[in-house]
Amino acid sequence: MVASELAQYVVTGLLVGGVYALMSIGLALIFGIMRVVNFAQGDFMMLGMYLTFYYAVALGIDPLLGALLSIPPFFVLGLLVHRAFLARVTGGGDPNREMDAQLILTLGLSLVITNATTMILSPMPRSINAPYASKAFAVGPLLLNQARTYSFATALLLAAAVYVFLTRTDLGKALRAAADDPEAAGYQGINVRTMHGVAFGIGIALVAAAGGLLASYHPIEPNVAVNFIVLMFVAVVLGGLGSIPGAFVGGIVIGLVQSLTLLLLPLQLQNVGVFVAFLIVLYVRPQGLFGRRARTV
Amino acid sequence: MSRLTRSLALTLVLVLLAPMVAVPVAVAAEDVKIALVAPLSGRWARQGQLKKMGAEMAIEEINSQGGIKALGGAKIVLREADAGDSVEKAVSAAQRVLTREKISAGIGSWLSSFTLGVTEVAERLQVPWLTLSYADNITERGFKYTFQTSPVSSLQAEQALDLVVEIGKKNNRPLKKAALVGDNTAATVFFFKPLREKLLAAKGIELVADEVWTPPLADATSIVQKLRATQPDIVFYGATNFPDSVQMLQKLKEFNVKTIIQGVGAWLVTPEYVKAIGKENLDGIQTVVAAHPLKGQEALVKKFVERTGEPFMTQDPLCTYAHVWLIKEAAEQAKSADPKAIREALAKIDLTAGPAATTLYPGRIRFDERGRRVGAIPIIVQWQNGEPYTVVPTAVSTRPLASVK
Repeated sequence: MVASELAQYVVTGLLVGGVYALMSIGLALIFGIMRVVNFAQGDFMMLGMYLTFYYAVALGIDPLLGALLSIPPFFVLGLLVHRAFLARVTGGGDPNREMDAQLILTLGLSLVITNATTMILSPMPRSINAPYASKAFAVGPLLLNQARTYSFATALLLAAAVYVFLTRTDLGKALRAAADDPEAAGYQGINVRTMHGVAFGIGIALVAAAGGLLASYHPIEPNVAVNFIVLMFVAVVLGGLGSIPGAFVGGIVIGLVQSLTLLLLPLQLQNVGVFVAFLIVLYVRPQGLFGRRARTV
Repeated sequence: MSRLTRSLALTLVLVLLAPMVAVPVAVAAEDVKIALVAPLSGRWARQGQLKKMGAEMAIEEINSQGGIKALGGAKIVLREADAGDSVEKAVSAAQRVLTREKISAGIGSWLSSFTLGVTEVAERLQVPWLTLSYADNITERGFKYTFQTSPVSSLQAEQALDLVVEIGKKNNRPLKKAALVGDNTAATVFFFKPLREKLLAAKGIELVADEVWTPPLADATSIVQKLRATQPDIVFYGATNFPDSVQMLQKLKEFNVKTIIQGVGAWLVTPEYVKAIGKENLDGIQTVVAAHPLKGQEALVKKFVERTGEPFMTQDPLCTYAHVWLIKEAAEQAKSADPKAIREALAKIDLTAGPAATTLYPGRIRFDERGRRVGAIPIIVQWQNGEPYTVVPTAVSTRPLASVK
């Protein structure tokens, strides 16, 4: 194996993993703060792809900018979905209350969103066909797909912004307090229910932005979520349930493993590599790469 | 009872009760019901949608022309069932639609893997089933109720190879190296198998890359890297899942890999490719299909385009259109809407005129004892300036074959 060829596999894996990472952060945030397993996360990503598509078609907005512009509407959508549905089943952050209904709720939301989109927008795949989707930056012998490189850089920026928000701002600290100990947070005057709404809004907005980035090179169709949702969950569990840095690293690791698996195994077994790596990590470190025994963000 | 148990119990009860409260659509007693089991959701939903368009157009034509005359002008009604995105869902859809009411015949289910499952249900329930799916083993199981109107995959592989070898010689660019690139759905598997095992070697062509995946494809870079390293003269291409195929074609452009792309199936000539890849990048890509508009079918295509708003007509609506007409002819000959009688009529049918026969090249429909259409010949379609044209057989081509630059 020539070194440049190996390097190409690594670079490709990193670029693919960057968007997985951004998708997974939203899921980790929602789980970490609300303890909600959001099966509809992939469907919100799909809606983000459509919004970016319509930004591009109707207003001529570049998908990379479109991805960022999907953040505010999806944050509001997240708040509304939380208020209308999730707040009723999440137990208000009280760990003693059972929250099984949220599993069925998010699964139901996922089915409703996919099928409603199929009915309203038809199953016809749509594409933005950004000019940079099939162009590459040549770095020595390596080729870096332009769309994926831009998406990777944007994903990195967004992930950093989320990290700074959670660790440096009052609202971010309040979110973490609501996650760590909802009861004590309540005594401190933090409205846990509002914090959950904010967390869900941010989680949805992040995955919608990831969808927007993806839309710059990937066709958009109502069922696109199924291709990614399992990988998102694997990334989140791999990184340590609810850990934001963990989910980010988990996403990158999945991209790398998918790419490097091809050095050893045939293409058909690409995802086998991911799940083998996943099992090994869980065997050696059951709490995930960045997980603590106690749940945290 | 815990909340989880209660929620699960409630969901279960609702699921069980749903079919009982569903309101049946009222139909006249003598209507002839045709089932269409096709993917209407999931990653192949677009193909199911196209099939449905073809079926609806034929039904409208038949009913407006007085229905099935031998049955006193009985109207045809369509009962569609969603095959979804897995064999299990397709089988359960077939089971549901065929047991709920009396169905005279069925059509589907596009993806060969689905058709293999669905035809087992149809065979068991003794309902004749028409399919455009390509996989050889669909009609290798001794089934009596399955009728395959398309040329099978292995035949398509043989004829497509003969054709591209001939074109290569004519253009003074003989084929020396080939690659197989595609997913592991049944039609692609059966197309690749004879090429891999004997056909390529028999023509003296070296197989330099053999890349098969389970959809969805995470990233096409590694495949295209191999193609760039091995430089095949031709790529036999079977990426039935649209996002996979778009990734592949974008990457070929990105890595500047120039080769002949010979697809297998009509998934490669759907209108959305123009938007996703750009018409200049599609130019010259060719695919082998079971049906495509031929010279002389302009009026049919015009009607379809006006009716549906689609920019052109392809195999999926065309075959389903023909299948509905074929069932109508069989019902006329059987003078019955009974599925067994229609099966007998289909087994004996020899059609040389009418919409069904003229739609399916070479214009004659009869089946052998396995249920394969006798004389079915693959059609080669090529993208030219943003539209797919029939280029082979030349007698019915709508454009001459353009050589790949």
